[in-house]
Amino acid sequence: MKRPVFYALALAAACALIPTAVVGPSLAATTKGPAAGKTVKIGVIADVTGSAAVYGVQQKDAYDLATDDLKSGLLDAGGANLTFDVEDSASDGNQVANLFQKFTTDGSALILGPTLSGEARKGDPIAVQAKTAVVGTSTTADGITSLGPCVFRVSLSEAQVIPATIARTKAVWKYKTAAIIYGDDNAFTKTDGDIFKTQLEKAGVTIVDTETFHIGDKDFAASLTKIKAAKPDVIVLGALAEEAEKIIQQAATQGIKTHMMGGNGLNSTKIYDYAGPAAAGVVVGAAWYINGNYAGNKSFVERFKKKYGTAPDQFGAQAYAAAQLAAQLVKDGAATKDAMCPALRDLRVAQTVLGPIAFDPGRDVNAAPVILQIVKGGFAYFH
Amino acid sequence: MNVLADFYAAHSKLIDQVGIDALLALSLSISLQAGQLALAQAAFMGVAAYISAILALDAHWSLLPAMLVAALCSTIVAGLLALPVRRLRGIFLAIATIAFGEIVRIVANNLTISGGAEGLSGIPADATTPWIYGTLVVVSIALWLFSRTKFALAIALVREDENAARGVGVDVGLVRFTTLAIGGTIAGLAGALYAHSNFFITPADFGFGRMEQILVWCVIGGITSPLGAAIGAALLTILPEAIRFLADYRDFVNGAILLVVVLFAPQGLAGIRFGKRG
Amino acid sequence: MVGQQLVNGLFLGAVYALFAIGYTLVFGVLDILNLAHAAIFMLAAFATWSLLGAGAPLWLAAPVAIAGAGILGIILDRIAFAPLRRRAAPNLIPLISSIGMAIIFGAIARAIYGPDERKFTLGFLDAAPLHAGPLTFTIVQLVILGSAIAFMLGLAWVMRATALGRAIRAVAEDRIAAALLGIDLERTIGATFFIASALGGLAGILTALQYNSVQVDMGAQIELKGLAVIVLGGMGSITGAVIGGFVIGMVETLAIALGLSGWSDAISYGVMFVILILRPTGLFGKRTLRTA
Repeated sequence: MKRPVFYALALAAACALIPTAVVGPSLAATTKGPAAGKTVKIGVIADVTGSAAVYGVQQKDAYDLATDDLKSGLLDAGGANLTFDVEDSASDGNQVANLFQKFTTDGSALILGPTLSGEARKGDPIAVQAKTAVVGTSTTADGITSLGPCVFRVSLSEAQVIPATIARTKAVWKYKTAAIIYGDDNAFTKTDGDIFKTQLEKAGVTIVDTETFHIGDKDFAASLTKIKAAKPDVIVLGALAEEAEKIIQQAATQGIKTHMMGGNGLNSTKIYDYAGPAAAGVVVGAAWYINGNYAGNKSFVERFKKKYGTAPDQFGAQAYAAAQLAAQLVKDGAATKDAMCPALRDLRVAQTVLGPIAFDPGRDVNAAPVILQIVKGGFAYFH
Repeated sequence: MNVLADFYAAHSKLIDQVGIDALLALSLSISLQAGQLALAQAAFMGVAAYISAILALDAHWSLLPAMLVAALCSTIVAGLLALPVRRLRGIFLAIATIAFGEIVRIVANNLTISGGAEGLSGIPADATTPWIYGTLVVVSIALWLFSRTKFALAIALVREDENAARGVGVDVGLVRFTTLAIGGTIAGLAGALYAHSNFFITPADFGFGRMEQILVWCVIGGITSPLGAAIGAALLTILPEAIRFLADYRDFVNGAILLVVVLFAPQGLAGIRFGKRG
Repeated sequence: MVGQQLVNGLFLGAVYALFAIGYTLVFGVLDILNLAHAAIFMLAAFATWSLLGAGAPLWLAAPVAIAGAGILGIILDRIAFAPLRRRAAPNLIPLISSIGMAIIFGAIARAIYGPDERKFTLGFLDAAPLHAGPLTFTIVQLVILGSAIAFMLGLAWVMRATALGRAIRAVAEDRIAAALLGIDLERTIGATFFIASALGGLAGILTALQYNSVQVDMGAQIELKGLAVIVLGGMGSITGAVIGGFVIGMVETLAIALGLSGWSDAISYGVMFVILILRPTGLFGKRTLRTA
């Protein structure tokens, strides 16, 4: 063929290759790792039904997407037959225990989950006794990783995120007083409330009002009226998405214009979808940025939206990251229960949609929190 | 032999759950046999679970003394509850005891000694299967022996017709108090065993949802039959695991079974097995 | 601030009152605690959401959903309660039956809608709040308050001035005597369930609009609160349900205002417990204590 055409084609081919190199996992070719040809089963425990279903469904969706990606080669398990056995624990402690027992006796190499910290406290000890490694993706309370030498976590704990959130917002907003509203009957939100309170006081901020609510509450008028009267410089939310969005909306109705910030639980596009302009400006200390440029993140968000019609939230992203981690471990040769724990301990870095992650000596994830701000259409970095 | 050992290794948690749930069903069955719709078993269970957990965690007590003290406490709580509700009957009693249960749960949620919403973690798991089933056997034998006493007759009479019972000299107040207290003891034993086999407890474990569950077991098994109640508990505890293949439809099946039994087998499963007995 | 808190309590109470009316009606007539009432509350809200999504305007979608809730109530009775009436089962059994139906309704809703919360996209919901001096409230809150009062008055009129109302009261008073007087029991009971469930459905739709949220779990909390309301007001008394609703709403709001937000629910249950001990018939209940 003519020379210019040849060069043009070569240039086009090169251009096609560059994005795939940047995006990370190779798009079409899977490699052949030491575990090639072996079947590796990974047990996933998630609350697909029951009171925690809002989070569990995101997690199941993420693992189902990961399964698709393994088939299409987007996720590379080094030629091994990697399957995720996703089972529903129905937000029921008994079922959590039974599933942990199932996965520790049916040859599963690794357990991912469970959805809630309380469930982890019930179930992880079973895995510890059976020497099966567990990687939590949404268990952010204290004391989870200390349950056993093979209990890991890819979810940044609130204790890791909140100090950074406070430092960054205080530098920009320069507040001196704060009001906290948090859920007192849920370990996730209560931890948020407690840690925010301690860390704010440590930073020299005076707490002028503390309000509590219960999960499932819809009416926050009384608490917000009290907060409004206390005139804080900033309002802190220890809440999950459903309650947070209502608090934000109802605060706007009462004419409250104070700065607001919250923890991990607010990292969901549902908040802007629900509360609209009232949510703009809320700062969220999070473990994942939906627009982040990390390994395959943007394309993960697109694929998730395409398959499920809704954007992934932090729960979904963390679950997918665990799937990526698992694929990498298997690709590097960890194909059995006994190989997983050392492989996790020795992990140098895994490229995931959360960014590059590694584990610290306490088996918590070594990653930097992202301080985001809710804006029209989603999230942006907070400045 | 190996098959049994393997089966146990793969299902010991479920087997333990069945034992504890059977105890809970028995504890409610006593009250139901006296015609009392006293729905506070979950609260009694919770009180005992917390006390036995605190004794184990803070004072390093072993299982048996912790269990006994916890059950004693839940008995006392049951006795204290029996006093104000002594004049209530039927749905009114049910609602009052449900309210009591919710208050207990909220108290546990707000106190620091119970760990609040974060619960108590790291409870030693010394309530192994022999302990659970040993307790179940002891309680069952005790109940069976009890059923042969005159007091048991009085209980049945109170259920059938309270006024007639009073007419023949039965101390109705004492009957109701005793059945509630015994129910509290058994629920307390179950609660302590629950805490010592689950590593972690939280107030939500002992709320209205749990109470509804226990009630459903008794109804399915047969309201007036303790054996039926225990069987109902066993079946419904195993059910979610057995129908796991139904994935998202498990809930629907749960509700459907409940409806079918209530509509077509009002005496519960015990009624089907043993024919129409009171 | 006190004024705003009173207003907050008023609107919260209106929601409780609407829900409790249907609850207490069924209990008054049939001595049944219908634990599937909260499920119908939720299904009506979802039905409205679906109809709106299909393009229907609110003034059409809501009444259709309310009527649908009423019909669902009749179906509920036919499946879960009527067979038991023929058998003269003790009151515990219909309670369990209603639990079964509640589970089934919940499973159906979850299968269709999933666990996520849904939102309405209606203009007036985002409208700016109204002000009266230092007090703030929304249009929806006024509508709820208005509905609670309007329906209580409407129901009172039905009960007093219509043949159906008289029949319902007769059946509530003494079922056997009513039958002997020639009242068609099954038709009257069916009508009772229609009214009660329609009201429950209305409560669900208004609650969903009030908080702009429809979710499978939305009935769970109000179910237990509703119990507190009807106990306080007197089980079987419609006036009691309304007044009880407002009182409980106020009590909860004031508890939060006084800094006891962690205990606000416990206070409602405590009130419930104390009323049952001291005066089981509640504030307005006329029935004497019945043995179940």
